Amino acid sequence: MQAFQIRYRNTQGTLMRILNAVSRRGLDMPSVHAGPAGLEHEVTLVLTVNPKQTGQLCREWYSIPDVTNVRAVAAQPSEWTTAHPPAGVSMERPAARA
Amino acid sequence: MPLYDALEGSGLRHVLTRHEQGAVFAAEGYARVTGKVGVAIATSGPGATNLVTGIADAKMDSVPLVCITGQVRSALIGTDAFQETDVFGVTLSLTKWSRIVRTIDEIPEVIAEGFHWARSGRPGPVIIDIPTDMLKAKKEFSGPVKFTPHARPAEAKADGGFTDTIVAMLQHASKPVALVGAGAKLSGAIPDLRRLLDKLNIPAFATVHGLGAVPPESPYYLGMVGMHGTRAANMALHETDLLLVFGARMDDRVTGEPTRFAPHAKIVHFEIDPAQLDRVRPGDLSVIGDLADTIPAFEAELRKQAIPDFSPWRGIACGPERAELDPRGFAQPTIRFLDELFSRLPQDSVVITDVGQHQMWAAQRYRSSSPRGFITSGGLGSMGFALPAAVGVQLAKPDTCVLCVSGDGGFQMNIQELATVHRLGLPVKMVIIDNKYLGMVRQWQQLFYERNYAETDLSDNPDFVEIAKAYKIPARRLHEEAMREFPVSNYTGDLIDGFLHSQGPELLVFDCHPEANVYPMVPAGAALSEMLLEEEPTQ
Repeated sequence: MQAFQIRYRNTQGTLMRILNAVSRRGLDMPSVHAGPAGLEHEVTLVLTVNPKQTGQLCREWYSIPDVTNVRAVAAQPSEWTTAHPPAGVSMERPAARA
Repeated sequence: MPLYDALEGSGLRHVLTRHEQGAVFAAEGYARVTGKVGVAIATSGPGATNLVTGIADAKMDSVPLVCITGQVRSALIGTDAFQETDVFGVTLSLTKWSRIVRTIDEIPEVIAEGFHWARSGRPGPVIIDIPTDMLKAKKEFSGPVKFTPHARPAEAKADGGFTDTIVAMLQHASKPVALVGAGAKLSGAIPDLRRLLDKLNIPAFATVHGLGAVPPESPYYLGMVGMHGTRAANMALHETDLLLVFGARMDDRVTGEPTRFAPHAKIVHFEIDPAQLDRVRPGDLSVIGDLADTIPAFEAELRKQAIPDFSPWRGIACGPERAELDPRGFAQPTIRFLDELFSRLPQDSVVITDVGQHQMWAAQRYRSSSPRGFITSGGLGSMGFALPAAVGVQLAKPDTCVLCVSGDGGFQMNIQELATVHRLGLPVKMVIIDNKYLGMVRQWQQLFYERNYAETDLSDNPDFVEIAKAYKIPARRLHEEAMREFPVSNYTGDLIDGFLHSQGPELLVFDCHPEANVYPMVPAGAALSEMLLEEEPTQ
């Protein structure tokens, strides 16, 4: 597991472009957390990637116009055991509950 | 409609194509030949989605493009309204930048920012989606605004130190080569690149988008490299121990089997877009930055340095034993035809090709030293590209001879743009290499699928001459037998000259043998040194 912290200006579509770089490679995203970070926003992704994919992803994220910083860091156990979707969101369909 | 209403009397020239894909390819043609931003507009829903192939094409080939799409009015967005499409979402992974306009006040800034991103760094497509209520709203226009990009942390820049490293690598190399891609041309550093290559005097070759960057008469130039590259270029790339890459992303059509690409080489990669590094093979030295800065810096430094004499290696790589073989087999008449055609083109002509066998024959045979003289859809390989792109090129270069070379399959994919050619009176010279097949697919079926020509037969093609005439465009047909005579007869020569020098648009259909193949060919999974060079024996 590898964690990535990507700083970005929260303009239209920038977070989606960041996530697209992952999904176009067919990678799972077991943990995604995005939110404000100072004057910008930051998304933390935990991914299972090989070194080549790490390099490609970091470079591709950096080429997105409103991305301001990309860091690859060691993933903390709490980050990849967090439920995804986030805990507290029920996957049950309303009809199933009725 | 509000936009078109406002266009009247605005001073902007609008060109109506007959399909939105024609519009975006025409805008690409304009952008590719001028280096300026091309602009295409389309209505919401299907109009917008019809732009998608062109947007993807521009992304792959680094073409600066601004696409402006109409959208349903703001209040209806997300309701699946009539002709509503989430074009922002559809194109998110294909564009470099995009915006949905939310207030009329932000339109000047959004337009300025869109043009900035389209042409900055590695050029690419952007999309601006404008709801119809924004198009109907009125606001006093206070003039264009200038966009200033937000500061980013210092990007990796090439410092002067890289030149010493490369010189040291050259000192230890015995078989260095240079690979030139589109990035060298886009940077505008061609004069510096040519001086640099003259100084290096090592074998050099180009990707399909790098053609024209190196004068073909240069003694060290080996032509195009890759799947249908020249034997000499592919051999040199396979044997090299030091590969200098100038603005090429080394895609699979250039490398052959990636694990066997340049197996002995250290790689130095000059590149503006870090995302293009190490996609196929990790480089040994990446020189990140605009080639307009890094190539001149390297060239200037090299003038002060002594580099080894690579004549023995150049003698082998560029020697007669690796020279191209004369055309043979079923493709011979077609190649002779293209040779005749290209040899009679006026100086500074622009050749645009579609995608397929004719594209590769043209890339192999057209020898231009004009950096923007050969235009094709390389990365995406979009059939149907050539005719509308030629419209854009001819609009940008009204006094230039614009030659559009298509296959019979691709020509029919945007054949409706003959109406645009006719309406605008554009003197585009159109050639169809008609083999009555989807030829490149058929070639693969012949070589790798035991001649199972599944769904590639186009023998029921319409009569292209009659179709052109229906669009009021003169047309004629040339049979391949005319090219079996060598040199060609005066009649054939006059026919080609008459075609190229006529005042208006004209179509020439060349009958090509159905089983003509493109060689050399690197099969899928093979190394560049494992080219197929000759026709397979016919059964």
